[in-house]
Amino acid sequence: MASSSSSGLTFKLHPLVMVNISDHYTRVKSQMNPPVTSTSCSNTNGNGNGAPAPPPRVYGCVIGVQRGRTVEIFNSFELLYDSATDSLDRAFLLKKQELYKKVFPNFYVLGWYSTGSDAEESDMHIHKALMDINESPVYVLLNPAINHAQKDLPVTIYESEMHVIDGIPQLIFVNSSYTIETVEAERISVDHVAHLKPSDGGSAATQLAAHLTSIHSAIKMLNSRIRVLHHYLVAMQKGEIPYENSLLRQVSSLLRRLPAIESEKFQDDFLMEYSDTLLITYLAMFTNCSSTMNELVEKFNTAYDRHSRRGGRTAFI
Amino acid sequence: MEAGKRKTEEEQQTLVDRKRKAEISEPPTTTTTVTMNAVETLVTQIQGLSGSPNDVVALHAHLNKVDEALRGESARLLPFLDQIDPSIHSLGYLYLLDACTSGPVSKELAANLVLITSRFITSCSTEQIRLAPEKFTGMCKRFKDQVLLIEAPMRGVAPLLVAVRKVQPSSEHLTSLHPDFLQLCLLAKCYKTGLSLLEDDIFEVTQPRDLFLYCYYGGMICIGQKHFQKALELLHNVVTAPMTSINAIAVEAYKKYALVSLIDNGQFSPGLPKYASSSAQRNLKNFCQQPYIELANTYSTGKIAELETFVQKHREKFESDNNLGLVKQVVSSMYKRNIQRLTQTYLTLSLQDIANTVQLNSAKEAEMHVLQMIQDGEIFATINQKDGMVRFLEDPEQYKSSGVIERIDSSIQRLMTLSKKLTNMDEQMSCDSLYLAKAGRERQRFDFDDFDSVPQKFNM
Repeated sequence: MASSSSSGLTFKLHPLVMVNISDHYTRVKSQMNPPVTSTSCSNTNGNGNGAPAPPPRVYGCVIGVQRGRTVEIFNSFELLYDSATDSLDRAFLLKKQELYKKVFPNFYVLGWYSTGSDAEESDMHIHKALMDINESPVYVLLNPAINHAQKDLPVTIYESEMHVIDGIPQLIFVNSSYTIETVEAERISVDHVAHLKPSDGGSAATQLAAHLTSIHSAIKMLNSRIRVLHHYLVAMQKGEIPYENSLLRQVSSLLRRLPAIESEKFQDDFLMEYSDTLLITYLAMFTNCSSTMNELVEKFNTAYDRHSRRGGRTAFI
Repeated sequence: MEAGKRKTEEEQQTLVDRKRKAEISEPPTTTTTVTMNAVETLVTQIQGLSGSPNDVVALHAHLNKVDEALRGESARLLPFLDQIDPSIHSLGYLYLLDACTSGPVSKELAANLVLITSRFITSCSTEQIRLAPEKFTGMCKRFKDQVLLIEAPMRGVAPLLVAVRKVQPSSEHLTSLHPDFLQLCLLAKCYKTGLSLLEDDIFEVTQPRDLFLYCYYGGMICIGQKHFQKALELLHNVVTAPMTSINAIAVEAYKKYALVSLIDNGQFSPGLPKYASSSAQRNLKNFCQQPYIELANTYSTGKIAELETFVQKHREKFESDNNLGLVKQVVSSMYKRNIQRLTQTYLTLSLQDIANTVQLNSAKEAEMHVLQMIQDGEIFATINQKDGMVRFLEDPEQYKSSGVIERIDSSIQRLMTLSKKLTNMDEQMSCDSLYLAKAGRERQRFDFDDFDSVPQKFNM
């Protein structure tokens, strides 16, 4: 099913489409009853215990503009999947198309989307059904399984092509490459969504904490990469790995670029500033501790002191 | 070799006695006296049952039953102690030793017992001891009395330190042995050992009297080592600890607190912080008014002659409180205080002028004082001996070294753990029924509108 497309079309995908699809999927998943456990869990358990249901598939249409050989997918909307007729809700689709035409006259229905890990045979039916609206629809597939190791987006775009298999000409899905195209408004919203929940866990309630968290994760990444390099160099020194001179030259040039300043004055200033920052943190912790202590003492006095003063509770600040 | 031979003899004894035990009924209980046979069977039982933890628990239960009977026979139990090994049969040894010492003890017997007990404490096994902590603590207290009886407190210091560590469930717990150990350290004048125990932070206390005594003795040890800062902390703890009615330890501690505060800070305010108990706040001042608080008032005038006449006048009172040495240190600290005040006014000063201002007798004395202070790190100065001028300098510490950073970092870590502990205690306190009862009663006077929505504490 996979080989790369030969149609020569370049695809441009907007983030709005991806956000829409994932939002649709999340909504349906959370509204299911009983709630579905994450897909990774259900994959490992199989259907053994029966309680977690397989994650639902959601369907919808993608719309956009085709200019010459460039296909730009701007937006998407949801559709209901009618399992009886094994096709998407045609009436709704037409109505939505009409409504969108009024606002965005340039947009056409370019294809459809769904969720899942791989394209399936049954998808071909839906694909063929859409062929009367668009001669060569695209199929956007989003994989909702969260894979932390994977670095690129779990979105694949398929096109249909006529191939001869076993003497029979058949339509099959072929993979196409795509690029991400972003409008300014989309960049802001994606940025906002990305910072709502930092990937490292912990709540970044204030701007300062968010800033420090991002610095921390950057430094952590730097640290882990340096560790890999170090390990590699040590192994090379021990003789476990054959010498690779080009790599060694790169490493030595990198080292020669390090520290730009190594003087007494720099050390002094640096340590002074470091100790200043530490002192401020210390002071902040002290204040926090004192405030807790104050509350504790108030409570203790109210509870256990026989002749305590009957003062009301006043705010600390 | 001999021990091995003795062991086989004992094993034979065990077999014989086990057979005999099957014929004899249960060892007699409380009222009847114990025959030598029964003690021997007990000894063999101890030897037999000290193997696995389950056996030890069974042995413990059995020993509790025969405890009373053993105490009656205290005089004759001593030879049996040689038959059992303190490191393996610790629990049995403990009970036998406890019974030996329960009766009145003469001086010669005390010397012998001290030796046996110190060997026992150093070699006993911690798990077995922890099954009967009160017995162990009681026996150690009697050990302390014996050591004091033979007037050799130094001999009790090391064993008691080991005993404290063995009985403590964790380094944050305060046991009844802590104050006894510190008392021995004070009497034996080995303050450094005492200081090592004072390094731990205490978070759990079972008996309030232990806390009072511990902090009081600890304060005295720190004074002996001239760690006035830590002494101030410990004495402050005694004075502000929760107490429903005033007690003598707090009064004595308050007197020393006043004196140490004068030596270290140069001033003393009789008021107590709000977390001190109300009974302390009202009553402590009255007990210590004469002459301590007046001493503080005289000190604040800064005139040495007045201070010295005052001290002379109330000499007997200070002596009866055993505080005369401390008061003398207060007087000498007055000179230091005055010299320090000079550093804030002058850049250079001649030794003769220093002597005149501070009311010392001669320039030589002034030079001695200044030299001592420079060595202690209390002032920063250079003495030019040619023309007898002293030049006062700034503190050269720049706080730029990595040592300073490490210190701050470790302090921050400690503060974080302390903060977590405090938050836990705060939560526990909020759930306390007494507090909720009283707080609930007060709250009704306020409307909902009186509470504003700003949080009272920022969580980091």
